[in-house]
Amino acid sequence: MDDNTRQAMRQWTLAQPVVSAYVTSVVRDFRDRDDVLQEVAIAVIESFPTYDPSRPFNGWAIGVARNKIGTYLRERRRSRLVFDDETVELLATAFEKISPERVQQLDYLHDCMGTLEGRARKLCELRYESDLKPAMIAGLVGMTANTVAKSLQRIREQLRSCVERKAALDGARR
Amino acid sequence: MKRNPIKFNYAYFDGYFDEVLSDKEQDALNAWIKADIDHARQFAEATMLHDRMRAALVDLGKEQSEIEADRVSPVSWSQSERSIGFSLPLLGTAASIAILCLGVLWLTLGQATASAASRELDRIIMQNVRSADRTYKIFVEQTVTPKRNGMRWPTQEERRPPKPSLDGATLHVGENNRFVLIRKTESGTSFITGSDGELSWAVNPMGPVRVSTDLNRFNRDLPGHESSLSLTNIHDGLASLRRAYDVQLSSLGPEEFEAQVGESYRLLTAVKKPNERGPQRVEIAYESNTGRIQNMRFVHMPYGPDRLDLRMVLVEENPLPPKFFDHSIHHASDRPIEKE
Repeated sequence: MDDNTRQAMRQWTLAQPVVSAYVTSVVRDFRDRDDVLQEVAIAVIESFPTYDPSRPFNGWAIGVARNKIGTYLRERRRSRLVFDDETVELLATAFEKISPERVQQLDYLHDCMGTLEGRARKLCELRYESDLKPAMIAGLVGMTANTVAKSLQRIREQLRSCVERKAALDGARR
Repeated sequence: MKRNPIKFNYAYFDGYFDEVLSDKEQDALNAWIKADIDHARQFAEATMLHDRMRAALVDLGKEQSEIEADRVSPVSWSQSERSIGFSLPLLGTAASIAILCLGVLWLTLGQATASAASRELDRIIMQNVRSADRTYKIFVEQTVTPKRNGMRWPTQEERRPPKPSLDGATLHVGENNRFVLIRKTESGTSFITGSDGELSWAVNPMGPVRVSTDLNRFNRDLPGHESSLSLTNIHDGLASLRRAYDVQLSSLGPEEFEAQVGESYRLLTAVKKPNERGPQRVEIAYESNTGRIQNMRFVHMPYGPDRLDLRMVLVEENPLPPKFFDHSIHHASDRPIEKE
């Protein structure tokens, strides 16, 4: 591996959480998201020599992701894009501005999710590991689609609070 | 100035991620986000959490597997227990399932006749004549490797290299035996096999794309090809149920349906007749008013040397893009192609 590739990979590793979330904001199906992200990663590494280091890497990588999302959805998937170009553009700017501290805070999510038990854990597994939507999950767990959607909302809210609490505690200790 | 009447918050964003918003609500969300960069920022932050939840859960799953592996490995199970992969909790679950099945059987006998079940099966078959493209998610609930007595030469199927797991795989099926099966390898890359009705093909993560005029060349990766119950041709599979299985109908669904939708789903259970090939039992949960299959469960289904319990859940029933079943759409254009 040459220096150029090594540097590209290092930068990509740092940018990946934000770029991944940006792709997810537009491409909701995780299966499609994974495929797009894989193509973005390859494109970022391959076109790294064209990157201007005086500009933020995240912004450049998000730009690459924008192009890949368009190509992917046109060629392979039937998913309708909910957001128009103007919104996708504005979201790219919003994701570029997410601070590294904010990204780092989400490292607490692992511990917070570890506390989920029983039905909450099962719902998350079906939603996030199996990539099923509430209507499909409902048929598997004996709940209505609406109750599944509400439960997932509550779980996310609980996790959001947990992450913020842990980040605040950790901040106070320093 | 006209104010946006919808109050946007995290619950609303969650609705977008879970695809439960109406078209009107989605349009309103689109308008709200682009109205202000601060709105876009709020939405971006909510997405960060949603996106990271998946990775966190996968990590937790891996950790849990490692803990369980450590816990199980020092225990000295007898050869027969190890060979069929039973554990004590599983035996407990199996006993519960057996009791549940007895209960369902008792109710079934009281409620439905075989001829009514047969008519229902015909109705489901007719519903499946329609050629809509469908997408299923596959879940492997249990894998059983039967114990072999003595030495013997492995069959051709057993000599094949290990296959990427079917658990979590996505199966797209279209008319004329067209299909695309997407499985994830341990490294997370996609292993894709399929057929466009004229060629069958396999796209490995590495190496050339393999293409064959033998349409069965790559469908061995799906269970059911050894019997006439192909997962890629549900219509013909259902027809073979009529011949080789005893079919019973219940107004109750499987365990997970009972509490949920009452009369809207029904369960058809097909039990294999003696000397026939295929899974021991097939459970079909379908919408009672339309006959549309919502999910199918195959119990003790032959898969190479193993027997699987697997469930196929219908995820979507919409036309796939043109050429979706063509291999070229699933790999980069510069990949070498090897004809077999």
